Amino acid sequence: MTTVSTSAFYERANLQLGGLRKRAESLQSQVGSGQRLARSSDDPVAAARMRELSRRDTLSGVDRANSDRAEADLKLADGALSSTANLVIRARELALQASNGTLSDTDRSLIAIELQDMTTSLLTLSNTRNVAGHALFGGEGTGNAYAIGPGGEGVYLGTADAPLTDLGEGQSVPRSLIGPDIFTFSSNGVPTDLFDTLAALSGALATGGAAASTAASAALGQLDAGLEKITTAQTIIGARLGWIETISDRRAATNELYAQEQSTVGGADLAATITRLQETLTVLEASQASFVRISNTSLFNLLR
Amino acid sequence: MASDLLTIALSGTRAARGALDVTAQNIANAATEGYVRRTLGMAEVSAAGGQLRNQDISLSGVRIAGIDRNADMFRQAEVRRTTSDAARSNAELAGLENIESAIEQARPYDMIVEFEAALRRLSANPVDPSLRAATVAAAGSMAGGFNIASTSLDSAVQGLHFESSAMADQANLFAGELTRINLKVTRAGAGSSDRATLLDQRDNLLERLSRLTDISTQFAVDGSVAVRLGGSGGEVFVQGGTAAPLAMTTAPDGTVGFTVGGAPVALSGGALGGKAMALDAAAQARTQLDALAAGIMATVNAAQANGTALNGAGGPPLFAGTGAGGMALGFTDGTLLATAPAGSPAGSAHPDNLDALRAAFEGNGHAANANGLLFGVSSSVASRKVTSEALGAIASSARIALDQQSGVDLDQEAANLVRFQQAFQASGRAMQVATEIFDTLLGIGR
Repeated sequence: MTTVSTSAFYERANLQLGGLRKRAESLQSQVGSGQRLARSSDDPVAAARMRELSRRDTLSGVDRANSDRAEADLKLADGALSSTANLVIRARELALQASNGTLSDTDRSLIAIELQDMTTSLLTLSNTRNVAGHALFGGEGTGNAYAIGPGGEGVYLGTADAPLTDLGEGQSVPRSLIGPDIFTFSSNGVPTDLFDTLAALSGALATGGAAASTAASAALGQLDAGLEKITTAQTIIGARLGWIETISDRRAATNELYAQEQSTVGGADLAATITRLQETLTVLEASQASFVRISNTSLFNLLR
Repeated sequence: MASDLLTIALSGTRAARGALDVTAQNIANAATEGYVRRTLGMAEVSAAGGQLRNQDISLSGVRIAGIDRNADMFRQAEVRRTTSDAARSNAELAGLENIESAIEQARPYDMIVEFEAALRRLSANPVDPSLRAATVAAAGSMAGGFNIASTSLDSAVQGLHFESSAMADQANLFAGELTRINLKVTRAGAGSSDRATLLDQRDNLLERLSRLTDISTQFAVDGSVAVRLGGSGGEVFVQGGTAAPLAMTTAPDGTVGFTVGGAPVALSGGALGGKAMALDAAAQARTQLDALAAGIMATVNAAQANGTALNGAGGPPLFAGTGAGGMALGFTDGTLLATAPAGSPAGSAHPDNLDALRAAFEGNGHAANANGLLFGVSSSVASRKVTSEALGAIASSARIALDQQSGVDLDQEAANLVRFQQAFQASGRAMQVATEIFDTLLGIGR
């Protein structure tokens, strides 16, 4: 004969009600936190994926900050190049005036003074600082990019390469140009730089005489070549800014995908979780009610 | 001698009283752990017919033969076996969960990623003092994370050691109790309530012992039990009135072994077996954690040695110490980070060595290794959880099966109360009939 022993009945009821309560509590905590995973062992594969995703999220945040910084540097470089171009255009106007044979030596010496001032401005521009406080056109060096040599020529103090910024996913962009890419050019096959050109012109104009107007005419060609170099540099900067924007767009799209995957892998589906919680609670209530009813049916109640 | 109605009725009331006592005892112990439902065995008393009296009626009523324990040896053995398995997997799961928390809550993975992020941030401007300081700070928190993981792992291991040794003591206590019961039960009379109680205690102790370790039992006819640990071919733990001491030995790596009376045993069940398995897992996790820390320190220190710091000199090692617990910063001055390649002048913003470090860090897969470590620990917890639930369900159903057979059913006892009360009343009625017959006899001839 199989008897239904009283302790077996309570043991079973305890087991069932305990299991239901545990399940309800786990679902409740999922609803409360919005996260399906309270600890890694709830779903080890999903948790490992979540860690990878959060790593990418963190690193991509750094990439975004770095690329914003590179963008700022490139915009500063663009501004400095525009100012340099204006300066060269003004120098060309002055050279054109000075090449006019009707000008007196006094007039030319005035132009020479202005050109002299422009040399100083050009030096300041060439030593423009970037966001981090280093010379924008000095490559990876930390000091000034240019100094004026004894003959008035520009002396490049920086390094041979422009600093690279890592944009993530293996892509990088130089965040500036080095001085020689901007200020050094060759005119009629002779290599020279803007500092030299301006210094030579202002020196010749200050000296005066017939040679002054010839020097001014010769400087016109050189300044044209210099201006061309600067506009080329501006085009390069523009292309790099475009590249950063492309990568940023791509990063934003990838981040959106990551965020979506994070919520798919680790987030709790609220509607489904609440429904399951309700279901569990209904079953729990029914079990509790039936437990009370059944445990009240004892033969002792009927024996008077 | 012919039958005596009064004596028969008296023996009937005595038997019914005894049965009512047993029923009341059953009701009183309905919720007592280890109590096995008793029934009263009764036997008829009648004399065999002798020579020349083989037609005689010789009835003398009923006697109490003894108290029967409705214990099913097979179901009890099943309960011991399944309880032992369930206790093992519960203990192992609890230990593994502690290990998981120890490592996961120290967040070594996040710390490694933060360090990677700091290196990447530094690459934007390798000479920036604040970025350098932030990188060194990130390295410091990474070392701290490893230290915390190591310390938490240590305390988890210590907790497991403490519990294991307490459990071994408890097992020895149970073994001592069993030897006393073995001695007493051989002296208790068969069918006595004393013997039933002793057997209840014996089975209860065996069940509690099986929660601690895997036991194999051998019952003698006199009710005494011999217990072996570590399977049926294992070492003798309890035999008659003697118990061999169970002792725990701890290896340098924190894993534990057990000996019974000096001879080593392999415990594959019970909470002690589970704790030993958890300690094995802890030792493995520690090896992996130490290897991870050592790998990170080697990568970073090698890169430091290859480069030039901001002061133009070679970079000193960023990390000192050994293992996850000993990982510490070699310096806290950010300017000593060797971001520039060897041979660079002081103050160089050249990031080549930093880039090489970042590439090596990514290439050596430290973050992936940390992820793998966490995955390994958490997946073993997840799989043990499934096993533990299954074994728990099996143990519960074995328990219920035993309870169904040997537990008290209050409805049945209520019915028994009525039945034996009626038996008592009926015997009383028989006495009354005997009196009336006697009166009738006395009235003859009056």
